[in-house]
Amino acid sequence: MSAFFEALQQKFGAQIQSISAEREEEIYVLFGDPDIRALAEYLRSAVEARLVTVFAEDRRSAEGVFFNYYVFERKGDTRYLIVRAPVRADHPEFPSLSAELPAVNWQEREIQDWFGLKADGHPNPRRVALHDNWPDVHPLCKDFPLETVLPPFEGERHIYRPALGEGVFQVPVGPVHAGTIEPGHFNFAVAGEPILYLQLRMFYTHKGTEKLFEKLPIPKAVFLAESISGDSSFSHGTAFCQAVERAAQMEVPLRALVMRTILLELERICNHVADIGAIATDVGFVVANAHASRLKEMLVSLNEQLTGNRLLRGMVCVGGVRRGWDIVQLASLRAAVDAFASEFQDLVALIDSSESTRDRLEQTGVLRPEKAKDLGVVGVAGRASGMDLDVRRDHPYAAYGRYSFRVPVYQVGDVIHRMQVRVDEVNESLGILRSAADDSLHGDFRAQVPPIPADRCALSAVEGWRGEIIHWIRTGPANHLERCKIKDPSLNNWPALVEAVQGNIIADFPVINKSFNLSYSGTDR
Amino acid sequence: MTGLLAKAGLQLVLLLLVAPFLSGIIKTLKARLQTRRGPDVLQSYRDIFKLLRKGMVIPDTASWIFSTTPYIVFVIAILVGLMIPMTTTDAPLSLFGGVLAVVYLLALGRFFLALGGLDTGSSFGGLGSSREMTISAIAEPAMMLAIFTVALGANSTNLSEMAKVAVSQSWKFLAPSQMLAFAALFIVLIAETGRIPVDNPATHLELTMIHEAMILEYSGPYLALIEWGASIKQLVLMTLLVNTFFPFGLSSDWTARGLGLGLIFYLTKMLLLAFLIVLVETTNAKLRLFRVPELLMVSFILGALALISTFLF
Repeated sequence: MSAFFEALQQKFGAQIQSISAEREEEIYVLFGDPDIRALAEYLRSAVEARLVTVFAEDRRSAEGVFFNYYVFERKGDTRYLIVRAPVRADHPEFPSLSAELPAVNWQEREIQDWFGLKADGHPNPRRVALHDNWPDVHPLCKDFPLETVLPPFEGERHIYRPALGEGVFQVPVGPVHAGTIEPGHFNFAVAGEPILYLQLRMFYTHKGTEKLFEKLPIPKAVFLAESISGDSSFSHGTAFCQAVERAAQMEVPLRALVMRTILLELERICNHVADIGAIATDVGFVVANAHASRLKEMLVSLNEQLTGNRLLRGMVCVGGVRRGWDIVQLASLRAAVDAFASEFQDLVALIDSSESTRDRLEQTGVLRPEKAKDLGVVGVAGRASGMDLDVRRDHPYAAYGRYSFRVPVYQVGDVIHRMQVRVDEVNESLGILRSAADDSLHGDFRAQVPPIPADRCALSAVEGWRGEIIHWIRTGPANHLERCKIKDPSLNNWPALVEAVQGNIIADFPVINKSFNLSYSGTDR
Repeated sequence: MTGLLAKAGLQLVLLLLVAPFLSGIIKTLKARLQTRRGPDVLQSYRDIFKLLRKGMVIPDTASWIFSTTPYIVFVIAILVGLMIPMTTTDAPLSLFGGVLAVVYLLALGRFFLALGGLDTGSSFGGLGSSREMTISAIAEPAMMLAIFTVALGANSTNLSEMAKVAVSQSWKFLAPSQMLAFAALFIVLIAETGRIPVDNPATHLELTMIHEAMILEYSGPYLALIEWGASIKQLVLMTLLVNTFFPFGLSSDWTARGLGLGLIFYLTKMLLLAFLIVLVETTNAKLRLFRVPELLMVSFILGALALISTFLF
C-alpha cells in the first residue's frame, strides 16, 4: 500500500473497514458510514481526485443493506478508487454531495428515483430519471420485478420554474423535434433573443436498460450494451466486454485488443467528421457538410467491409472480437485511412477559409473551465474547456498503451474549440490507426471464455468518441449479472449545455447544442 | 379593356408558372454545388400540387387573421407581379401604381404574414415575426433609396416608364449610381427572399428560422398559397433587379415576336441572377442574427450613396 493509502487510513481509519484491490487498477474502500462528505472533500483538496461517478446497488438480500459506490480517479494514477458506503435499508438516506460537487446532481437523483434512497440535503431533490407523473416505484430495487406493468400515469406533470419579468417569455422546444433526433424538452426563458435561463428535461426514452442487463445471459447482454447509445455502439460494447473479461479474470489476445483499438478509433473519426459537418450545417455552411457526409460514408463503408456492419455492431464479444481480418481487409483499411486523411485536410481547410463560418462559431456558447470542472464535464466538451482527461491515456485499455498520441486541450470552451478538439482528435486517431494497422494482426482474435464466477465486481472505462464511458458490473450465478451500471458521458455534459447557452441568443442554440452533440438514449438508458 | 385583360392574363400565367420553376432551378443548382443530386426543377410544382390537395391542421387558437393571411400574401404577390415589366416594358397594371405601390404592397403582405405568425400564439411564430419585422425595418428604406436612384434617372416612379427610358437610353450600368443601387438592391433581395446569409430556407431548426418560423403552423392549401406567393415574390424582386439594371431584350410592344424574344432574354437574365444568388448562398454561412441589421445597413448606405451620386456624376 502506498503512502496515499496510509494517509487515508490514518485520517479516516475509524470509518474505513477495509481496503482491497480487486485487481491492480481497482481499489475498493469499504466505508462504515453512508456519510462520505469528509472523505470526498479530502480526496478533492488533498489529491485533486475527480469523482467519476456515483451509483447504488441493492444488496439487501446478500448483505442486508444498499450500497452507494463513489468512483474516484486522480491525475497520473491509472487506478480507480471505489468507495463503497452502506445505506441502511430501514433508514434509506445518504448525505448528498451535490452542493459541493454539482457533477453528481443528476446521478444522486437517479439513485433517489431508482432505489428510493433519499439524497439528504440535495439542493434540488426533484425527480429526474423517472418523470414526476410516475407512481412511487423504484425499479432498480431487487423486489421490483422486470415484468411489472404499471397502471397509466396519473401523477402531476413536471412544473417548470417560472421565468418572470417584463418582456420575458418562455419558449418550450420539444420533446418532439424537427429532424431525426431523440426526445428531450428544452424550456428557454428569453428576453427578446438572449437566453436568460434554460431548463432541461431528459429521460423521455428511459428504457430500464440497467434493469434489463440483470435478466440477460452475458453473451446476449453484449447486444444490449451495443444499443445503449447507437452512435457509440462499439465503445459501449467494448466497455461492457472489458468489464466481463475483468470479472472473469481472463486474458484477451493481443490481436483482438489491436482490432478493438482500430474499431474504437474508426467510430471516433466517423462521429467526429459527421459532427464537424453538422456544426457547419447549423450555421448554414452546407457545402462543408456535403463533404463531411461524403467522408463519413467512406468510413462507414470501410466499417462494413471490416465488420459486416456500418455502425460496427455485432463485432465485439466477450473474449475478443467475432472475426479476424484477412490481407485484403487490412489493405483496404490502410488505403481508406490514407484517402480519408488527405480529404479530411481539405475539409478542414474549407471550413477554415470560410470567414463567415468562423465568425458564427467563435465566442459562441462559451463553457468556462471553472464551470466545466464543477460540472465534471468529460470528453470533447471537457477538453475544449480545460478538462485534461482522456481514458485512453489515463487508464490505458485495449492496445492504447502501445501507441503514442496527443490529447488536445483548450481553455476557451466555445463552439469553434469544441470543433477544433474534434479536428485534432481525428488527426491523432489517424496516427493511431496507421500504427495499429501495421501492428501484430495475427494469432487468435477470440479467447475461450472460462466460466464466470459469481459475485465478482469489475469496473471498465472506455473513451468513447463523446467522452468517458463507465460500465460497472457485479456478476451473478449462471452467467448472469447481478447489477450493471452504465454511465454515458452525456449524463455529465447535459447540465453543462445549460451553462454554455446562457447569454447567447436563442438562434445560436442549435449550433451550441450540436457542438456538444449529446446522446439522449445514453443519458436516459 | 380586353387588351389590358389579355396582357394581365398573359403576365399572370407567366408569374404563376415561372415562379416555381425559378425556385426549382435555385434548389437544383444549390444541390449541384453541394455535390448532391438534389430535386429536379419540377419538384416545386409537385410540392404545390401536393399541398393543394392535402387537408389542413388549423390550431384552435387561430383567428380569421390566420386564415386570411395566405390569400392576402398570394394576391399581393400577384398584384405586385402585374405592376412590373417582365418581358415587355409595358406592365399590365403599371397605370395603377409605381415603385411606391410595389414597396408598400410588399410591406402589407409581410405585415399580414407576421400577424399570421403571431396569431396562433406559438412561440416559434412569435420569434419569426419579431425577426422578420426587425429585418424589414431596415430593408425597406434601403430598397426605396436604391429604387429612387433609378427613378430619378428616368424622371418617373412608374416602373413601365422607367423601363422605357432605360431601353431607349444607352446602357449605363457602369455609372457609379447604378452599380451602387444594384448592390444595395441585391442585398435587399437576399434579405427579402430569406436566403443565406440572412435566413436559411433549407433549415429544419425552428430556433434559427425567420420566414419559415412564421409559417410553421400552416399546412395544406394555405401553405401552398404562402409558398407559391413567396416564390412569386422572389420572382418579382429578381425581375425588378434584372429589368431595372439590365433592360436588354425588353420588348416595347405586345407582339408575338417581341414577347417571344423578350421571354428568352428574360429567362436567360433570371437564370444568371439565380446562379449569382446560389453562389452567394453556397460560399457563405448564415450571419449571426444580430449582424443581419449590419448587412442591411450596408445596403442602406449603398442606396444612399447611389442616390447622392446621381447628382454628382
